[in-house]
Amino acid sequence: MKRVWILFVPGVITGIVLLLIGNKAVEATSSDKFCNSCHIHPQAELSWKKSVHYETQSGYRTHCVDCHLPPQGHGYLPEKARTGLRDLWSYWFKDSASFNWDAKSKLDYAKGYVFESTCLKCHPNLYPAKLTKEGSDAHLYYDAQVKKGEDIRCINCHLNAGHYDPNYTHKANEGFGKEIVSGEVFTESTKVDKFESFVEKIPKTGVSFKMIAIPGGTFKMGSPDNEPYRKPDEGPVKEVKISPFYMAEIEVSWNEYLAFYAQTARQGKTAVKTDLNTVTSVDAIVGATPPYGQPDQNWGKGKRPVISASFNAAQTYCKWLSIVTGKTYRLPTEAEWEYAARAGKETPYFFEGNPKTFVKSKFLSSRKDTTMINRFVVYKENSQAKTQEPSFVLPNPFGLKNMLGNVAEFCSDWYSPDTYSKYPGVVEDPKGPVSGTEHVVRGGSYKSQADQVRSAVREATQTQSWLRTDPQSPKSIWWYSDCFYVGFRVVCEYDASTGRR
Amino acid sequence: MSNKPNLSRRNFLGRAAAVGAVGAISPALITSCAPKSKGKAVEYTLSTLLDKAPDGPELKAGLIGCGGRGTGAAMNFLSAGPNLKITALADLLPDRLAEARAKLTNDWKQEISDENCFVGFDAYEKLLQTNVDVVILATPPYFRPIHFEAAVQARKHCFLEKPVAVDPVGARSIMASAKKAEAMELSVITGTQRRHQRDYIEIYKKVAGGDIGEITGGNVYWNQSKLWHTNPKAEWSEMEAMIRNWVNWTWLSGDHIVEQHVHNIDVGLWFMGAHPVKALGFGSRQRRITGDQYDNFSVDYVFEDGRHLHSMCRQINGCGGGVFERFQGAEGAALLNGNNIKLVDLTGKDIWTYPYIVNAQGEKSIAVGPYDQEHIDLVTAIRNNKPINEAENCAISTLVGIMGRISAYTGKEVTFDEMMNSDLNIGPKTYVLGPVPDVSKTVPVPGEAATE
Repeated sequence: MKRVWILFVPGVITGIVLLLIGNKAVEATSSDKFCNSCHIHPQAELSWKKSVHYETQSGYRTHCVDCHLPPQGHGYLPEKARTGLRDLWSYWFKDSASFNWDAKSKLDYAKGYVFESTCLKCHPNLYPAKLTKEGSDAHLYYDAQVKKGEDIRCINCHLNAGHYDPNYTHKANEGFGKEIVSGEVFTESTKVDKFESFVEKIPKTGVSFKMIAIPGGTFKMGSPDNEPYRKPDEGPVKEVKISPFYMAEIEVSWNEYLAFYAQTARQGKTAVKTDLNTVTSVDAIVGATPPYGQPDQNWGKGKRPVISASFNAAQTYCKWLSIVTGKTYRLPTEAEWEYAARAGKETPYFFEGNPKTFVKSKFLSSRKDTTMINRFVVYKENSQAKTQEPSFVLPNPFGLKNMLGNVAEFCSDWYSPDTYSKYPGVVEDPKGPVSGTEHVVRGGSYKSQADQVRSAVREATQTQSWLRTDPQSPKSIWWYSDCFYVGFRVVCEYDASTGRR
Repeated sequence: MSNKPNLSRRNFLGRAAAVGAVGAISPALITSCAPKSKGKAVEYTLSTLLDKAPDGPELKAGLIGCGGRGTGAAMNFLSAGPNLKITALADLLPDRLAEARAKLTNDWKQEISDENCFVGFDAYEKLLQTNVDVVILATPPYFRPIHFEAAVQARKHCFLEKPVAVDPVGARSIMASAKKAEAMELSVITGTQRRHQRDYIEIYKKVAGGDIGEITGGNVYWNQSKLWHTNPKAEWSEMEAMIRNWVNWTWLSGDHIVEQHVHNIDVGLWFMGAHPVKALGFGSRQRRITGDQYDNFSVDYVFEDGRHLHSMCRQINGCGGGVFERFQGAEGAALLNGNNIKLVDLTGKDIWTYPYIVNAQGEKSIAVGPYDQEHIDLVTAIRNNKPINEAENCAISTLVGIMGRISAYTGKEVTFDEMMNSDLNIGPKTYVLGPVPDVSKTVPVPGEAATE
């Protein structure tokens, strides 16, 4: 009995001491100083000090762990252990200079280390007396989404609450896109009298872009069963015949889109959808309303592809472009798109290489040779988490740039997972299902892994979730608030206006 | 009924608790109609069912909107219990204010000083600056969201006459102000008084307790002869003429499907335990002589779980009528018709009838009428410091009425989500006693004309 006590008493004392040390350790490692001693990105501390959470109206200073760990009793310690281990690992084994802090401050990443429960712990009342009408509408919407079980967070709208970002806007951006491309102003569009590539000039602007003549032909649409990473909607493979058409060398750039925006944009937020079937003059086009927030994500405009523009906006742009140039511009069909992307190749990419080689392993840094894909595609491993200018890559055999990667592109077809199986034998210029709810999106983006930028990969628009954060009522029909990886590319019909006799 | 509504309700409560709206969770949401085991006692917490409110420190009330219903509501408030006073009045029009003041002074011995009587479009703002504890909002419904918002900012307990809005923007404004009132622990009662009517409450408990099985659908009716109208006078501006004739103008009343029929729609939502997700309706204007409203509507409301609620309302002389609700259950039906509220089985045989008080002439009644009961419940909530808040529920019922109206006006199916996202505001941009150029005065015609 005595021996038990001899062991027990010191055991209890040791236990208490360890607990006390443990508590002290948790406290010590939760101080702002401790966080900032390792988190070596200097802007985090500076931007925190400039934010509304550093000096709140009630005089409270919000500490790192207040937002970046869940509250006590909501998994505080496990999360602390997890993030602690991750941070240690990064500190010892990774080069902090390689971190893309800009990308990590975007919503997609921030969701991983800003906890909704902590927001709601300090802000239990979403309807304070001074809340504006816009705020009330937004919070009613938030409540409704939460009730439906949708993934919506406080930081969807209040992303800069903890770290100040001078470029972040979450309000109607009336001044957006007012910059004008200087230089020669074209008086008329380009005359095309035979089927060959040309440079289109947008009248009354200094904007031009190259259109490539794509010869007609037959190709195999879809991917074979044995293609790595193939998904069921990529098949069955069908023979498809495509008539000649012109396709833009690059994705519609901000320069091109802002020319449209400047000529047609309407102030005020009432959404008016133009009936594109009946429009014959520019005056009849009711263009985009000002965006909410910063649609270019502050990545720059110029020759970078337009992002955030809605499918409706893309279609309206094509109609406008047709009217001002006297040609027939439109979005490509899904078949035209894949025909152009493959440029005669039946392999996963138009260049040599196996997707398995290019996809980066999650755990071990890859020593695989990614030279080929890096030459042709802006994708996750080389994009720095944003869109790039066309000069970043080389063209495909047709002369088209960024068919794969950079931004995914709208096609005019409705999306259906079984589109190809509905096509009989050889089809000519197919246009997809007659009806549907979402449209086809092709080509992958700067966010995609190598497997997602294969020529056959099919995606669809997600209208509801791409508008989730838009706090306006009704939501914009022109700008997606939550989608920055999709743009579009125009095609021009080979008809009487473009040299067909 | 699936489990889904239950789950989402629990989620709602979970979050409501999380946001710490102490004791201010809308009670009608706690008591839904998802039947549990048959015959189970169901708590209904919205109404205290006291015959008089408890005594307490003096409560002073102000009346905003001194018409017939406003004056009536003021009298209901005064008779709700001891130590209650009306101390301030506000109305757009001096003659309406004078009538109410005379009535409250002579018949109810209230002392309302000259400096506490306000007229004009901004009269409500001035009234809210007086030391009243409670305000009764009883103007034409178009103004309710504006007045409620200001009343909540002024930290007043409120009685809101129904309906609480005429368009989606107004209904959402009420919802937001309701949440603010909740956070401030203010009590808000709305004039959808069937939720304070004893026979309705008793049958609700039976239905929610499962006595007729799960509710599979319902019908709600308000069919009657025409309401009043006021012809314009030469000395009135267009605005004054519209407001004196407000039950005939959509921008002021919401049309009769909202203004009057909201009572039955509200009962429908209460008993069905949810709001519909879409509506397809029709209606027309056959006999109305002033204003721009329809005089009949028929709307099919569809709920998320596929159940239907049919709504029917008419204001035309010389037609069949009736004001009642009926709910079909798997094992019987609930009939809510005048002083004859009962449950029947599937063969139509009575299962249960409400124990009415019967007088010597054989007339049936309930101990305390709903118009008094709602004010008893308001004063009780304030004095017991147990806030209740009906504004959000009433806003939802109002919005469902608006959804039916818009469906009938346009001929299109309308969804609740569309209503929650709509920026439709049908009122004028400015309020002056002059011309009203910027509101629609034409009667909507749905659909397209047939062509050869």
